[in-house]
Amino acid sequence: MIKVELQDQIAIVSLDRPEKRNAMVPEMLSQLDQEIKNCAHKARALVILGEGKTFCAGFDLKMCANDPGGETMRQLLTGLSMVVRTMRAIEVPVVLGVHGAAVAGGCAMLGGADIVIADEQAKLGYPVVKIGVSPAVSAAFMMASITPGAVRTRLVDTELISGIEAKRIGLVHETVENRDDVRGRAVEIAEILAKKPGSAIRATKSWLNEICEPMTNNAQAGLDVSLSLTGSPEEQERLAALWG
Amino acid sequence: MSAPVILETKGLIATLTINRPEARNAMSIEILDGMHKAVDEVASSDASVLVITGAGRAFCAGMDLKAVLIELSGDPGLGEELLTSLAKLTLKIRKLAQVTVASVNGAAIGGGCGLTCVCDVTVSHADAKLGFPEVDLGICPAVIAPWVVKKLGGGVARKVMLMGGVMSGQEAKDIGLVDHLADDRDGLAELTQTIADRLATGGPKALAATKGLLNEIDGSNEAQMVLKGAKLSAAVLATPEAQAALAARLK
Repeated sequence: MIKVELQDQIAIVSLDRPEKRNAMVPEMLSQLDQEIKNCAHKARALVILGEGKTFCAGFDLKMCANDPGGETMRQLLTGLSMVVRTMRAIEVPVVLGVHGAAVAGGCAMLGGADIVIADEQAKLGYPVVKIGVSPAVSAAFMMASITPGAVRTRLVDTELISGIEAKRIGLVHETVENRDDVRGRAVEIAEILAKKPGSAIRATKSWLNEICEPMTNNAQAGLDVSLSLTGSPEEQERLAALWG
Repeated sequence: MSAPVILETKGLIATLTINRPEARNAMSIEILDGMHKAVDEVASSDASVLVITGAGRAFCAGMDLKAVLIELSGDPGLGEELLTSLAKLTLKIRKLAQVTVASVNGAAIGGGCGLTCVCDVTVSHADAKLGFPEVDLGICPAVIAPWVVKKLGGGVARKVMLMGGVMSGQEAKDIGLVDHLADDRDGLAELTQTIADRLATGGPKALAATKGLLNEIDGSNEAQMVLKGAKLSAAVLATPEAQAALAARLK
Protein backbone atom coordinates (compact mmCIF):
# COMPACT_ATOMS: atom_id res chain seq x y z
CA MET A 1 0.00 0.00 0.00
CA ILE A 2 3.06 2.22 0.28
CA LYS A 3 5.69 2.45 -2.42
CA VAL A 4 9.20 3.74 -1.73
CA GLU A 5 11.70 4.91 -4.35
CA LEU A 6 15.15 5.80 -3.14
CA GLN A 7 17.02 8.05 -5.54
CA ASP A 8 20.40 9.68 -5.24
CA GLN A 9 19.70 12.03 -2.32
CA ILE A 10 15.93 11.97 -2.04
CA ALA A 11 13.25 9.43 -1.17
CA ILE A 12 9.81 9.31 -2.75
CA VAL A 13 7.13 7.74 -0.56
CA SER A 14 3.85 7.17 -2.39
CA LEU A 15 0.37 6.13 -1.31
CA ASP A 16 -0.14 3.08 -3.50
CA ARG A 17 -3.75 1.96 -3.58
CA PRO A 18 -4.75 3.61 -6.86
CA GLU A 19 -7.82 1.44 -7.47
CA LYS A 20 -9.33 3.06 -4.33
CA ARG A 21 -8.00 6.56 -5.06
CA ASN A 22 -5.45 5.85 -2.30
CA ALA A 23 -8.15 5.73 0.36
CA MET A 24 -6.51 5.20 3.73
CA VAL A 25 -6.87 2.04 5.79
CA PRO A 26 -5.18 1.61 9.21
CA GLU A 27 -2.44 -0.71 7.93
CA MET A 28 -1.53 1.76 5.19
CA LEU A 29 -1.09 4.60 7.70
CA SER A 30 1.18 2.57 9.95
CA GLN A 31 3.26 1.51 6.92
CA LEU A 32 3.43 5.14 5.81
CA ASP A 33 4.57 6.28 9.25
CA GLN A 34 7.28 3.61 9.33
CA GLU A 35 8.52 4.35 5.79
CA ILE A 36 8.73 8.10 6.45
CA LYS A 37 10.85 7.38 9.53
CA ASN A 38 13.07 4.92 7.60
CA CYS A 39 13.58 7.27 4.68
CA ALA A 40 14.49 10.17 6.94
CA HIS A 41 17.72 8.31 7.71
CA LYS A 42 18.49 7.48 4.09
CA ALA A 43 17.71 10.72 2.25
CA ARG A 44 18.32 14.46 2.54
CA ALA A 45 14.75 15.32 1.50
CA LEU A 46 11.45 13.42 1.21
CA VAL A 47 8.68 13.60 -1.35
CA ILE A 48 5.18 12.32 -0.57
CA LEU A 49 2.94 11.53 -3.55
CA GLY A 50 -0.04 9.41 -4.53
CA GLU A 51 -0.09 6.76 -7.27
CA GLY A 52 -2.82 6.76 -9.90
CA LYS A 53 -5.32 9.47 -10.79
CA THR A 54 -5.44 11.41 -7.51
CA PHE A 55 -3.32 12.01 -4.43
CA CYS A 56 -5.76 10.74 -1.79
CA ALA A 57 -9.52 10.50 -1.24
CA GLY A 58 -9.24 10.31 2.57
CA PHE A 59 -10.28 7.43 4.83
CA ASP A 60 -11.74 4.26 3.33
CA LEU A 61 -15.21 4.89 4.75
CA LYS A 62 -16.67 1.53 3.75
CA MET A 63 -14.57 0.03 6.52
CA CYS A 64 -16.05 2.46 9.05
CA ALA A 65 -19.72 1.81 8.31
CA ASN A 66 -21.37 -0.90 10.43
CA ASP A 67 -18.75 -0.42 13.10
CA PRO A 68 -20.78 0.81 16.10
CA GLY A 69 -17.74 0.63 18.38
CA GLY A 70 -15.97 2.97 15.98
CA GLU A 71 -12.74 0.99 16.25
CA THR A 72 -11.68 1.39 12.60
CA MET A 73 -12.33 5.13 12.68
CA ARG A 74 -10.29 5.36 15.89
CA GLN A 75 -7.37 3.58 14.26
CA LEU A 76 -7.56 5.79 11.18
CA LEU A 77 -7.68 9.05 13.14
CA THR A 78 -4.85 7.98 15.42
CA GLY A 79 -2.76 6.74 12.50
CA LEU A 80 -3.32 9.96 10.54
CA SER A 81 -2.34 12.13 13.49
CA MET A 82 0.79 10.05 13.93
CA VAL A 83 1.80 10.39 10.25
CA VAL A 84 1.37 14.19 10.29
CA ARG A 85 3.40 14.50 13.49
CA THR A 86 6.13 12.24 12.08
CA MET A 87 6.37 14.30 8.88
CA ARG A 88 6.93 17.37 11.00
CA ALA A 89 9.30 15.73 13.49
CA ILE A 90 11.83 14.18 11.07
CA GLU A 91 14.96 16.24 10.53
CA VAL A 92 14.83 16.37 6.74
CA PRO A 93 12.37 18.56 4.79
CA VAL A 94 9.19 17.04 3.36
CA VAL A 95 7.69 18.07 0.02
CA LEU A 96 4.13 16.92 -0.65
CA GLY A 97 2.61 16.87 -4.13
CA VAL A 98 -1.17 16.89 -4.61
CA HIS A 99 -2.46 15.89 -8.02
CA GLY A 100 -6.18 15.64 -8.69
CA ALA A 101 -7.54 15.64 -5.15
CA ALA A 102 -6.58 15.69 -1.49
CA VAL A 103 -9.75 15.17 0.47
CA ALA A 104 -10.35 14.91 4.23
CA GLY A 105 -7.58 12.71 5.68
CA GLY A 106 -5.65 13.24 2.43
CA CYS A 107 -5.82 16.99 2.90
CA ALA A 108 -4.88 16.66 6.58
CA MET A 109 -1.48 15.34 5.47
CA LEU A 110 -0.65 18.79 4.07
CA GLY A 111 -0.31 19.96 7.68
CA GLY A 112 2.87 17.97 8.22
CA ALA A 113 4.63 18.99 5.00
CA ASP A 114 7.21 21.75 4.73
CA ILE A 115 6.39 22.54 1.10
CA VAL A 116 3.17 21.70 -0.75
CA ILE A 117 2.72 21.60 -4.53
CA ALA A 118 -0.66 21.09 -6.22
CA ASP A 119 -2.12 21.33 -9.68
CA GLU A 120 -4.30 24.37 -10.30
CA GLN A 121 -7.48 22.34 -10.69
CA ALA A 122 -6.86 19.96 -7.79
CA LYS A 123 -9.72 19.65 -5.30
CA LEU A 124 -8.80 20.14 -1.66
CA GLY A 125 -10.84 20.22 1.53
CA TYR A 126 -12.13 18.62 4.71
CA PRO A 127 -15.75 17.65 4.00
CA VAL A 128 -16.11 15.36 7.01
CA VAL A 129 -18.67 17.07 9.25
CA LYS A 130 -21.37 15.85 6.85
CA ILE A 131 -20.56 12.27 7.85
CA GLY A 132 -20.60 13.16 11.55
CA VAL A 133 -16.81 13.23 11.88
CA SER A 134 -14.92 16.16 13.41
CA PRO A 135 -11.85 17.40 11.48
CA ALA A 136 -10.41 18.70 14.78
CA VAL A 137 -7.51 16.27 14.27
CA SER A 138 -6.23 18.61 11.52
CA ALA A 139 -6.68 21.91 13.33
CA ALA A 140 -3.41 22.29 15.24
CA PHE A 141 -1.11 21.85 12.25
CA MET A 142 -3.31 24.02 10.04
CA MET A 143 -3.16 26.79 12.66
CA ALA A 144 0.62 26.52 12.47
CA SER A 145 0.58 27.26 8.74
CA ILE A 146 -2.39 29.40 7.66
CA THR A 147 -4.51 32.12 9.26
CA PRO A 148 -6.93 31.13 12.03
CA GLY A 149 -9.78 32.58 9.97
CA ALA A 150 -9.02 30.33 7.01
CA VAL A 151 -8.67 27.28 9.28
CA ARG A 152 -12.13 27.92 10.70
CA THR A 153 -13.75 28.33 7.27
CA ARG A 154 -12.13 25.23 5.82
CA LEU A 155 -12.97 22.96 8.76
CA VAL A 156 -16.66 23.83 9.17
CA ASP A 157 -17.42 24.02 5.43
CA THR A 158 -17.66 20.87 3.32
CA GLU A 159 -16.63 22.77 0.18
CA LEU A 160 -13.69 21.53 -1.87
CA ILE A 161 -11.45 24.36 -3.09
CA SER A 162 -9.15 24.48 -6.11
CA GLY A 163 -5.39 24.38 -6.03
CA ILE A 164 -5.40 28.08 -6.96
CA GLU A 165 -7.62 29.01 -4.02
CA ALA A 166 -5.60 26.75 -1.71
CA LYS A 167 -2.49 28.67 -2.73
CA ARG A 168 -4.22 31.97 -2.04
CA ILE A 169 -4.93 30.93 1.56
CA GLY A 170 -1.45 29.46 2.01
CA LEU A 171 -2.42 25.79 2.25
CA VAL A 172 -0.48 25.18 -0.98
CA HIS A 173 2.80 26.99 -1.73
CA GLU A 174 3.08 26.51 -5.46
CA THR A 175 0.76 25.37 -8.22
CA VAL A 176 1.49 23.77 -11.58
CA GLU A 177 -0.90 23.91 -14.51
CA ASN A 178 -1.24 20.19 -15.22
CA ARG A 179 -1.70 17.38 -12.76
CA ASP A 180 0.91 15.35 -14.64
CA ASP A 181 3.56 17.92 -13.71
CA VAL A 182 3.07 17.67 -9.94
CA ARG A 183 5.45 14.76 -9.47
CA GLY A 184 8.22 16.33 -11.54
CA ARG A 185 8.05 19.65 -9.73
CA ALA A 186 7.84 18.07 -6.26
CA VAL A 187 10.91 15.94 -7.03
CA GLU A 188 12.74 18.97 -8.40
CA ILE A 189 12.08 20.97 -5.21
CA ALA A 190 13.24 18.06 -3.04
CA GLU A 191 16.44 17.85 -5.11
CA ILE A 192 17.03 21.58 -4.62
CA LEU A 193 16.56 21.17 -0.86
CA ALA A 194 18.81 18.10 -0.79
CA LYS A 195 21.68 20.10 -2.31
CA LYS A 196 21.56 22.83 0.34
CA PRO A 197 23.87 22.64 3.37
CA GLY A 198 22.31 19.92 5.52
CA SER A 199 23.03 21.31 8.96
CA ALA A 200 21.49 24.68 8.06
CA ILE A 201 18.34 23.01 6.70
CA ARG A 202 18.01 20.76 9.75
CA ALA A 203 18.56 23.64 12.18
CA THR A 204 16.08 25.86 10.36
CA LYS A 205 13.36 23.20 10.17
CA SER A 206 13.69 22.26 13.82
CA TRP A 207 13.76 25.92 14.91
CA LEU A 208 10.57 26.63 12.92
CA ASN A 209 9.00 23.59 14.61
CA GLU A 210 9.92 25.06 18.00
CA ILE A 211 8.52 28.49 17.09
CA CYS A 212 5.24 26.86 16.04
CA GLU A 213 4.96 24.64 19.14
CA PRO A 214 2.39 26.83 20.91
CA MET A 215 0.03 25.73 18.12
CA THR A 216 1.18 22.22 17.30
CA ASN A 217 1.12 21.32 21.01
CA ASN A 218 -2.64 21.13 20.55
CA ALA A 219 -2.34 18.18 18.14
CA GLN A 220 -3.24 15.60 20.79
CA ALA A 221 -6.19 17.68 22.04
CA GLY A 222 -7.49 17.89 18.46
CA LEU A 223 -7.14 14.15 17.97
CA ASP A 224 -9.00 13.56 21.24
CA VAL A 225 -11.91 15.72 20.05
CA SER A 226 -12.13 13.73 16.80
CA LEU A 227 -11.88 10.46 18.72
CA SER A 228 -14.66 11.49 21.12
CA LEU A 229 -17.21 11.23 18.30
CA THR A 230 -16.18 7.90 16.83
CA GLY A 231 -18.95 5.33 16.77
CA SER A 232 -21.55 7.94 17.73
CA PRO A 233 -25.12 7.42 16.46
CA GLU A 234 -24.82 10.56 14.28
CA GLU A 235 -21.67 9.26 12.61
CA GLN A 236 -23.01 5.71 12.20
CA GLU A 237 -26.30 6.90 10.68
CA ARG A 238 -24.56 9.19 8.24
CA LEU A 239 -21.96 6.62 7.23
CA ALA A 240 -24.68 4.01 6.68
CA ALA A 241 -26.62 6.51 4.54
CA LEU A 242 -23.63 6.86 2.20
CA TRP A 243 -24.31 3.37 0.92
CA GLY A 244 -28.09 3.64 1.51
CA MET B 1 33.59 58.80 7.90
CA SER B 2 29.88 59.52 7.55
CA ALA B 3 27.42 58.56 10.26
CA PRO B 4 26.36 54.88 10.05
CA VAL B 5 22.74 55.80 10.71
CA ILE B 6 20.90 59.03 9.91
CA LEU B 7 17.81 60.03 11.87
CA GLU B 8 15.65 62.89 10.59
CA THR B 9 12.30 64.05 11.90
CA LYS B 10 9.74 66.07 9.92
CA GLY B 11 6.57 66.78 11.82
CA LEU B 12 5.29 63.51 13.28
CA ILE B 13 7.36 61.29 10.99
CA ALA B 14 10.88 60.15 11.90
CA THR B 15 13.05 58.52 9.22
CA LEU B 16 15.95 56.21 10.06
CA THR B 17 18.32 55.68 7.14
CA ILE B 18 20.88 52.89 7.28
CA ASN B 19 23.88 54.65 5.80
CA ARG B 20 26.52 52.26 4.56
CA PRO B 21 25.75 52.23 0.85
CA GLU B 22 29.23 50.99 -0.14
CA ALA B 23 28.45 47.71 1.68
CA ARG B 24 24.76 47.58 0.66
CA ASN B 25 23.94 48.67 4.23
CA ALA B 26 25.11 45.36 5.69
CA MET B 27 24.80 45.23 9.45
CA SER B 28 28.15 45.68 11.14
CA ILE B 29 28.53 46.42 14.87
CA GLU B 30 28.71 50.15 14.03
CA ILE B 31 25.47 50.00 12.04
CA LEU B 32 23.68 48.01 14.77
CA ASP B 33 24.93 50.36 17.52
CA GLY B 34 23.77 53.33 15.48
CA MET B 35 20.35 51.78 14.94
CA HIS B 36 19.94 51.02 18.66
CA LYS B 37 20.74 54.66 19.48
CA ALA B 38 18.40 56.03 16.82
CA VAL B 39 15.52 53.77 17.89
CA ASP B 40 16.01 54.81 21.54
CA GLU B 41 15.84 58.41 20.43
CA VAL B 42 12.61 57.80 18.51
CA ALA B 43 11.09 55.98 21.50
CA SER B 44 11.39 59.08 23.66
CA SER B 45 10.31 61.50 20.91
CA ASP B 46 6.88 62.87 19.98
CA ALA B 47 6.95 61.21 16.54
CA SER B 48 3.98 58.98 15.64
CA VAL B 49 5.59 57.12 12.76
CA LEU B 50 9.07 55.70 12.19
CA VAL B 51 10.16 54.97 8.61
CA ILE B 52 13.21 52.72 8.19
CA THR B 53 15.03 52.78 4.85
CA GLY B 54 18.47 52.37 3.31
CA ALA B 55 20.89 54.83 1.67
CA GLY B 56 21.81 54.16 -1.95
CA ARG B 57 20.59 51.17 -4.00
CA ALA B 58 20.02 48.62 -1.21
CA PHE B 59 17.75 48.53 1.83
CA CYS B 60 19.95 46.18 3.88
CA ALA B 61 21.99 43.20 2.68
CA GLY B 62 21.76 41.48 6.08
CA MET B 63 24.59 40.62 8.44
CA ASP B 64 28.04 41.84 7.50
CA LEU B 65 29.47 38.57 6.13
CA LYS B 66 33.04 39.83 6.47
CA ALA B 67 32.45 40.27 10.20
CA VAL B 68 31.06 36.77 10.71
CA LEU B 69 33.70 34.97 8.65
CA ILE B 70 36.13 34.03 11.40
CA GLU B 71 39.15 33.73 9.08
CA LEU B 72 38.66 37.40 8.11
CA SER B 73 37.53 38.94 11.41
CA GLY B 74 39.85 36.85 13.57
CA ASP B 75 37.19 37.00 16.27
CA PRO B 76 35.07 33.85 16.78
CA GLY B 77 32.82 35.72 19.23
CA LEU B 78 31.83 38.49 16.83
CA GLY B 79 29.08 36.45 15.14
CA GLU B 80 27.18 35.93 18.37
CA GLU B 81 27.73 39.56 19.40
CA LEU B 82 26.22 40.80 16.11
CA LEU B 83 23.32 38.34 16.25
CA THR B 84 22.50 39.20 19.86
CA SER B 85 22.58 42.90 19.02
CA LEU B 86 20.24 42.29 16.06
CA ALA B 87 17.92 40.23 18.30
CA LYS B 88 17.71 43.05 20.86
CA LEU B 89 17.21 45.62 18.09
CA THR B 90 14.24 43.70 16.67
CA LEU B 91 12.64 43.49 20.12
CA LYS B 92 13.21 47.22 20.65
CA ILE B 93 11.66 48.17 17.29
CA ARG B 94 8.66 45.91 17.90
CA LYS B 95 8.02 47.53 21.31
CA LEU B 96 8.00 51.11 19.93
CA ALA B 97 4.78 53.02 20.53
CA GLN B 98 5.34 54.55 17.08
CA VAL B 99 3.98 52.80 14.00
CA THR B 100 6.94 51.46 12.05
CA VAL B 101 7.21 51.39 8.27
CA ALA B 102 9.94 49.59 6.33
CA SER B 103 10.51 51.43 3.05
CA VAL B 104 12.38 48.80 1.06
CA ASN B 105 14.26 50.77 -1.58
CA GLY B 106 16.35 47.84 -2.85
CA ALA B 107 17.76 44.52 -1.68
CA ALA B 108 16.42 43.38 1.70
CA ILE B 109 18.30 40.17 2.36
CA GLY B 110 18.42 37.81 5.34
CA GLY B 111 18.50 39.88 8.53
CA GLY B 112 17.62 42.92 6.40
CA CYS B 113 14.48 41.19 5.22
CA GLY B 114 13.79 40.08 8.78
CA LEU B 115 13.88 43.73 9.82
CA THR B 116 10.98 44.43 7.44
CA CYS B 117 8.93 41.68 9.15
CA VAL B 118 9.43 43.35 12.54
CA CYS B 119 7.91 46.58 11.19
CA ASP B 120 4.15 47.10 11.21
CA VAL B 121 3.91 48.01 7.52
CA THR B 122 6.23 47.27 4.59
CA VAL B 123 6.34 49.39 1.44
CA SER B 124 8.47 48.44 -1.55
CA HIS B 125 8.61 48.49 -5.33
CA ALA B 126 8.28 45.84 -8.02
CA ASP B 127 12.02 45.64 -8.79
CA ALA B 128 13.25 45.27 -5.20
CA LYS B 129 14.77 41.94 -4.16
CA LEU B 130 13.74 40.39 -0.88
CA GLY B 131 14.42 37.03 0.70
CA PHE B 132 16.09 34.69 3.12
CA PRO B 133 19.06 32.96 1.42
CA GLU B 134 20.64 31.99 4.76
CA VAL B 135 20.33 28.22 4.23
CA ASP B 136 22.17 28.58 0.91
CA LEU B 137 25.13 29.94 2.90
CA GLY B 138 24.93 27.15 5.46
CA ILE B 139 23.50 29.45 8.13
CA CYS B 140 20.20 29.53 10.00
CA PRO B 141 17.92 32.61 10.09
CA ALA B 142 16.97 31.86 13.69
CA VAL B 143 16.87 35.44 15.08
CA ILE B 144 14.39 36.68 12.54
CA ALA B 145 12.38 33.45 12.10
CA PRO B 146 9.88 34.32 14.88
CA TRP B 147 9.17 37.65 13.15
CA VAL B 148 8.84 36.06 9.70
CA VAL B 149 6.37 33.51 11.11
CA LYS B 150 4.31 36.36 12.65
CA LYS B 151 4.31 38.31 9.38
CA LEU B 152 3.64 35.48 6.90
CA GLY B 153 2.14 32.67 8.97
CA GLY B 154 4.03 29.46 9.72
CA GLY B 155 3.43 27.71 6.39
CA VAL B 156 4.68 30.38 4.00
CA ALA B 157 7.49 31.31 6.40
CA ARG B 158 8.63 27.68 6.34
CA LYS B 159 8.62 27.65 2.55
CA VAL B 160 10.60 30.86 2.05
CA MET B 161 13.15 30.13 4.77
CA LEU B 162 13.82 26.51 3.73
CA MET B 163 13.90 27.23 -0.02
CA GLY B 164 16.26 30.20 0.43
CA GLY B 165 16.97 32.47 -2.54
CA VAL B 166 15.38 35.86 -3.16
CA MET B 167 12.12 37.07 -4.72
CA SER B 168 10.95 40.20 -6.52
CA GLY B 169 8.91 42.94 -4.87
CA GLN B 170 5.86 41.64 -6.74
CA GLU B 171 6.32 38.08 -5.43
CA ALA B 172 6.85 39.49 -1.94
CA LYS B 173 3.57 41.38 -2.26
CA ASP B 174 1.79 38.19 -3.36
CA ILE B 175 2.79 36.31 -0.19
CA GLY B 176 2.19 39.23 2.19
CA LEU B 177 5.82 40.11 2.89
CA VAL B 178 5.21 43.53 1.28
CA ASP B 179 1.97 45.40 2.05
CA HIS B 180 2.16 48.24 -0.49
CA LEU B 181 3.99 48.15 -3.80
CA ALA B 182 5.12 51.03 -6.02
CA ASP B 183 5.50 50.29 -9.73
CA ASP B 184 9.18 51.16 -9.70
CA ARG B 185 11.98 52.50 -7.55
CA ASP B 186 11.17 56.12 -8.50
CA GLY B 187 7.65 55.77 -7.13
CA LEU B 188 8.68 54.47 -3.72
CA ALA B 189 9.42 57.77 -1.95
CA GLU B 190 6.02 59.19 -2.82
CA LEU B 191 4.15 56.02 -1.84
CA THR B 192 6.07 55.84 1.45
CA GLN B 193 5.24 59.48 2.19
CA THR B 194 1.53 58.93 1.44
CA ILE B 195 1.35 55.94 3.77
CA ALA B 196 3.42 57.55 6.53
CA ASP B 197 1.23 60.69 6.35
CA ARG B 198 -1.90 58.58 6.62
CA LEU B 199 -0.52 56.57 9.56
CA ALA B 200 0.46 59.83 11.28
CA THR B 201 -3.20 60.90 11.32
CA GLY B 202 -3.86 58.22 13.96
CA GLY B 203 -4.09 59.24 17.60
CA PRO B 204 -0.73 58.38 19.22
CA LYS B 205 -2.41 56.82 22.26
CA ALA B 206 -4.80 54.77 20.12
CA LEU B 207 -1.93 53.55 17.94
CA ALA B 208 0.24 52.66 20.94
CA ALA B 209 -2.60 50.82 22.68
CA THR B 210 -3.42 48.87 19.53
CA LYS B 211 0.18 47.91 18.91
CA GLY B 212 0.55 46.89 22.55
CA LEU B 213 -2.43 44.58 22.30
CA LEU B 214 -1.28 43.03 19.01
CA ASN B 215 2.17 42.42 20.49
CA GLU B 216 0.61 40.70 23.46
CA ILE B 217 -1.69 38.52 21.35
CA ASP B 218 0.95 37.37 18.87
CA GLY B 219 3.68 36.71 21.42
CA SER B 220 5.91 39.60 20.33
CA ASN B 221 6.79 40.32 23.96
CA GLU B 222 8.34 36.89 24.43
CA ALA B 223 11.94 37.98 24.13
CA GLN B 224 13.42 34.61 25.03
CA MET B 225 12.64 32.99 21.65
CA VAL B 226 14.42 35.76 19.73
CA LEU B 227 17.40 35.75 22.10
CA LYS B 228 17.59 31.96 21.94
CA GLY B 229 17.52 32.36 18.15
CA ALA B 230 20.72 34.42 18.36
CA LYS B 231 22.49 31.60 20.24
CA LEU B 232 21.24 28.96 17.79
CA SER B 233 22.15 31.04 14.76
CA ALA B 234 25.62 31.71 16.18
CA ALA B 235 26.17 27.99 16.81
CA VAL B 236 25.29 27.11 13.19
CA LEU B 237 27.40 30.02 11.93
CA ALA B 238 30.50 28.66 13.71
CA THR B 239 30.29 25.22 12.03
CA PRO B 240 32.98 24.43 9.43
CA GLU B 241 30.23 23.87 6.82
CA ALA B 242 28.89 27.41 7.29
CA GLN B 243 32.33 29.02 7.44
CA ALA B 244 33.34 27.25 4.22
CA ALA B 245 30.14 28.35 2.43
CA LEU B 246 30.65 31.96 3.59
CA ALA B 247 34.28 31.96 2.50
CA ALA B 248 33.25 30.67 -0.94
CA ARG B 249 30.60 33.39 -1.24
CA LEU B 250 33.05 36.17 -0.37
CA LYS B 251 35.58 34.97 -2.99
